[in-house]
Amino acid sequence: MLQTLTTDFRTPRAAPSALNTAPSQRYYVYLLAPAILLLAAISLYPFFWLIYMSLHQVSMSPNQPDVWVGLANYAKLLSDKRYLEGWRLLVVYSVSCMILQVGLGLLLALVLNNSRWEKPLVTVFLMPMMMAPVIAGLVWFYLYNGTFGWYNWVLQSLGILSGTSILGSTSTAMIGIVVVDTWQWTPLITLIVLAGLKRVPQDQLEAHMVDGAGAVRNFFAIVLPNLYPFLLIAVLLRFMDNFRFIDAILRLTGGGPANSTKVLPVYLFEVSFTNFNLGYGAAIAFTLLVVTIVIGMVLVSAFTQPSLQQKH
Amino acid sequence: MTKVVVSEVWKMYGKVPAVRDLSFSCESGEFLCVLGPSGCGKSSTLRMLAGLEHISAGEITFDGKRINELPPKDRDIAMVFENYALYPHKTVGDNMANALKLRGMPAAEIKTRVDRAAAMLQIGHLLDRRPMELSGGQKQRVAIGRAIVRSPKVFLFDEPIGHLDAKLRGHMRGELKRLQRELATTTIYVTHDQLEALSMADRIAVMNEGVLQQIGTPQDIYNHPANEWVASFVGEPPMNFLDAEVVTTGSETDLEVRCGALRVRLSDAHRHRLEGVRGGMRLGIRPEALQVAGAAPGADWTAGTIYAVEPLGGDTLVEVAFQGGRVLAKTGADFRGEMDAPIFVTVDSTKLHLFDASNGRALT
Repeated sequence: MLQTLTTDFRTPRAAPSALNTAPSQRYYVYLLAPAILLLAAISLYPFFWLIYMSLHQVSMSPNQPDVWVGLANYAKLLSDKRYLEGWRLLVVYSVSCMILQVGLGLLLALVLNNSRWEKPLVTVFLMPMMMAPVIAGLVWFYLYNGTFGWYNWVLQSLGILSGTSILGSTSTAMIGIVVVDTWQWTPLITLIVLAGLKRVPQDQLEAHMVDGAGAVRNFFAIVLPNLYPFLLIAVLLRFMDNFRFIDAILRLTGGGPANSTKVLPVYLFEVSFTNFNLGYGAAIAFTLLVVTIVIGMVLVSAFTQPSLQQKH
Repeated sequence: MTKVVVSEVWKMYGKVPAVRDLSFSCESGEFLCVLGPSGCGKSSTLRMLAGLEHISAGEITFDGKRINELPPKDRDIAMVFENYALYPHKTVGDNMANALKLRGMPAAEIKTRVDRAAAMLQIGHLLDRRPMELSGGQKQRVAIGRAIVRSPKVFLFDEPIGHLDAKLRGHMRGELKRLQRELATTTIYVTHDQLEALSMADRIAVMNEGVLQQIGTPQDIYNHPANEWVASFVGEPPMNFLDAEVVTTGSETDLEVRCGALRVRLSDAHRHRLEGVRGGMRLGIRPEALQVAGAAPGADWTAGTIYAVEPLGGDTLVEVAFQGGRVLAKTGADFRGEMDAPIFVTVDSTKLHLFDASNGRALT
């Protein structure tokens, strides 16, 4: 015979004053310590060394000590025309690259998405991205070549380009390096946006169509808002790369002609490793680093804005 | 008020037919439920009505006007999706106003309509929130609100309350039915839940494997299922099916259905159904058409043993095993019995369902 136990609902008393102690977390600190130490050695030490150098006149000889100069290197930046011009060119270069790459990448992704040829074409489009930037620079250096470069020949045959070569003229050299960067990195944007397009909720699109929207309205009201986080990642990655990678530019123009492509990182390279003015170079590098970090943080903070949080 | 007619419609996905030769009509102001298991083609049908899916063959008309080629925005329909499909970056108010804005309605008119719909659904206090801040039930109300602000020709519902918990679902059934009667808008409602269909619809269209099995009032579907499949799909607990035999006892008109030890003398009303049918057939008995008793009160009772007892609170299900078969009977909450104890069972012969053994069709 089954017995039924009847009890009244138990009304909870006040919370107990003493709770069971949780296991110690200190254990994990010990486990993490080696990794933290390694990170400090390879990341924090160079950072502080950079600040140290920027405050000294760094000697190249082991017998001569570094000379403390205070903020003199930084003061010099403000009157250095090449430095200020470097910033202007860097802004022109990265903003042009960004607009072209995001625009083309988005367009390509929209065309490729769910098309019959999506997979093979994406594979083909990814090829430029797999190339080392310095190799891309070398390939395009020959394509642009004034004597036997194919693009040079095409543009001259069409009458677009007069006697000069693309990289040899101050008016076209910047376009030349922007094209190479766009050729190499648009596929990355396409890839990221394609991933984003797969996540656009189909039911919202359909609901919007039933609500009375056509294709264009659908894109701006549903697809684009859902793509913002993906575009933001793409922009963040590309912007940081443009501020750091100069392999292709060094190979293509080396900053010339007449400094027309001497974006700030190229100028930094010249000051530090051609002229070996390490103290001044460190000051340039520090300002570049600070600006990169600030812009990066602004972009990352955009991720956490509630209007961009799509997922329920 | 719009009459919807679906005639000889097919939907093919590649070479696989999802909907086959479907024809039905939904009168203006009618609440029609399309009922069927998953994969039966009911959602494809609804999506063809909405214009979200191409119609492979056949024709759909609204008030006699062919709509096959019209894009969704020109059909003047409103649809409520299974997972609500609210716009996460818009507030509840903007979600509801979206369709009206897209149609270029003046802001004052939009506000009046949204407020009226919100009041009707009791979501007026939620208009400034975003969907992610709402509970499932609230989201579902917003989705319905988005549909009703438009005063469209036709409402299409795709399992709109399938994701709610059982209690809220029961509540929303009543609310939806009331709302539809008040608005008197032609409504096509897709569901796999027979309870929703039976409780809300004016008529039910039952589908299986892309084919319309039966269309009729809930009473029709429940009391006169067109075939064995409909009979098995509609009804909870499900109908008992037994392989049985029709035999004559005494005179030619004295018929009896036999399944092992279970014997049912046919009433006069049923006798004409079996004209010419002798031998094997399928017998369907709803659990509530069976009675059980601890001792045999008469000669029509069949002896068996209790296989299992399932008390459900309000009533009790008793599974009775007898020589030649097993049936589930629904009885009162006061039923007491132990497993394997002897029991007697009898069938209300006016509530028998008889099906052709070869093709499953009801014998009427």
